[in-house]
Amino acid sequence: MTKLKIDQISRTFPARHGHPPTRALEPIDLSVANNDFVTILGPSGCGKSTLLRIVAGLDRPTSGRVILDGKEVSGPGADRGMVFQSYTLFPWLTVRENIAFGLRERGVSEAERNKIANGFVHRIGLSGFENHWPKQLSGGMQQRTAIARALANDPKILLLDEPFGALDNQTRVLMQEMLLGIWERDQKTVLFVTHDIEEAIFLGSRVIVMSARPGRIKAEIAVDLPHPRSYKIKTTPGFIGLKERLVEEIRAESLKVAADA
Amino acid sequence: MRPLHPVTSKQRAAYGLAFFVLFVTLWASATFGGYISKTFLASPLTMLKEGWDLLTKFGFLFDIGMTIWRVLGGFALAAIVAVPLGVVMGAYKSIEAFLEPFVSFARYLPASAFIPLLILWAGIGELQKLLVIFIGSVFQIILMVTVTVGNTRRDLVEAAYTLGASDRGIIGRVLLPSAAPEIAEILRLVLGWAWTYVIVAELIGSSSGIGHMITDSQALLNTGQIIFGIIVIGLIGLVSDFLFKAFNAWLFPWKLA
Repeated sequence: MTKLKIDQISRTFPARHGHPPTRALEPIDLSVANNDFVTILGPSGCGKSTLLRIVAGLDRPTSGRVILDGKEVSGPGADRGMVFQSYTLFPWLTVRENIAFGLRERGVSEAERNKIANGFVHRIGLSGFENHWPKQLSGGMQQRTAIARALANDPKILLLDEPFGALDNQTRVLMQEMLLGIWERDQKTVLFVTHDIEEAIFLGSRVIVMSARPGRIKAEIAVDLPHPRSYKIKTTPGFIGLKERLVEEIRAESLKVAADA
Repeated sequence: MRPLHPVTSKQRAAYGLAFFVLFVTLWASATFGGYISKTFLASPLTMLKEGWDLLTKFGFLFDIGMTIWRVLGGFALAAIVAVPLGVVMGAYKSIEAFLEPFVSFARYLPASAFIPLLILWAGIGELQKLLVIFIGSVFQIILMVTVTVGNTRRDLVEAAYTLGASDRGIIGRVLLPSAAPEIAEILRLVLGWAWTYVIVAELIGSSSGIGHMITDSQALLNTGQIIFGIIVIGLIGLVSDFLFKAFNAWLFPWKLA
């Protein structure tokens, strides 16, 4: 069953200061099934974040439409939870209040809010930090809270824009396992943007490879690795085979970017 | 000494105090040594004696109270008008485009130049004093609050939208709390300027206040009283600044965490 349909989405940024208009995205088609975990992989500047922002409703496409559960997306909304690469927790709210932000906006009672938020605090392993401010947390803890904040709203789809891009390698691997654990248990439709090949394979059921600017879908590769996955899967022949394939695909695109620069 | 090398809080206090001591020493040696005539500059001891007389014989405490009242009154009026306006201008770009050019222009109108007009319009009563401070503060606060609110991190606003925030929710739950600490800092800064306006307002057409005392003392060539008045203003400013800072720190603990 199709949950999200991206229908001929393109995006051209208008001309500015004598520079010609930038074509960020060629018309793109993509269908995401219910509870699918799709990773979008591409070199930097390929428009993958733009695509995600259009799905979130934070940017408008030049043409095409985004359809979620049969309804066209016209702006940002609570049905599409988003986690950003930059740390976007509200610095004046505690961990618990951050997680409950969307619930409060919907008018959920305080008792109910706290109950839901406490449940998430426990699941992301931040028990004891409920009343901490974001400033007092490490980058990994902040992004875990940001994921919980998006999930607490129970969105139809979770959009992640390189959420672990700013973290150190060890933390990133742990965060991937945590996110995958949540997905394996709770089932959620997920669109995950990254430029990290291993991350794209480890997390995704499908990897969408995007070409360098203007962005379009270059390849689509199914990841037939069993769940639940642990970090050990990264050394299996199946994983390495996929990685080799994707390295070739991405390398061709990165070379194009380097030649343009 | 190396660039940016920190000092301990004890050292900081000692250095700060040392300059006051040096300052008073220079003042004392210039006056007691007879290098400067008593007519032009009173010695520290004369100043203290005159100050004591002011407080005990001439009801100077009442003047101080009047001045504080005027500053706080005019400042509060300005803040009540300017903060909401600045928030709305920061949040809505069309309202900013409508009002910002005029406010930028009005900001450069010197409050002291309005005093003759204000005396004509409002007499020489309290209202006139409040209005001088109001005019001196209100446009500054509006502009600075507008800029602060307009500079709210876009990614926080976007995050709030994806969490289902309405436009009202964005203003009430993102723009305001995000800008609040800086708005408090702006108010602290402008309160300092308001002290300048109040003295100017009291120098002309006033029958009470620190500024009035200073004009009176000028007529009597009593530099001791004038200096005492100026020092009192400085001390009140220092105390109010300290209280404001402490209040802000108490209000926004997340900023210091």
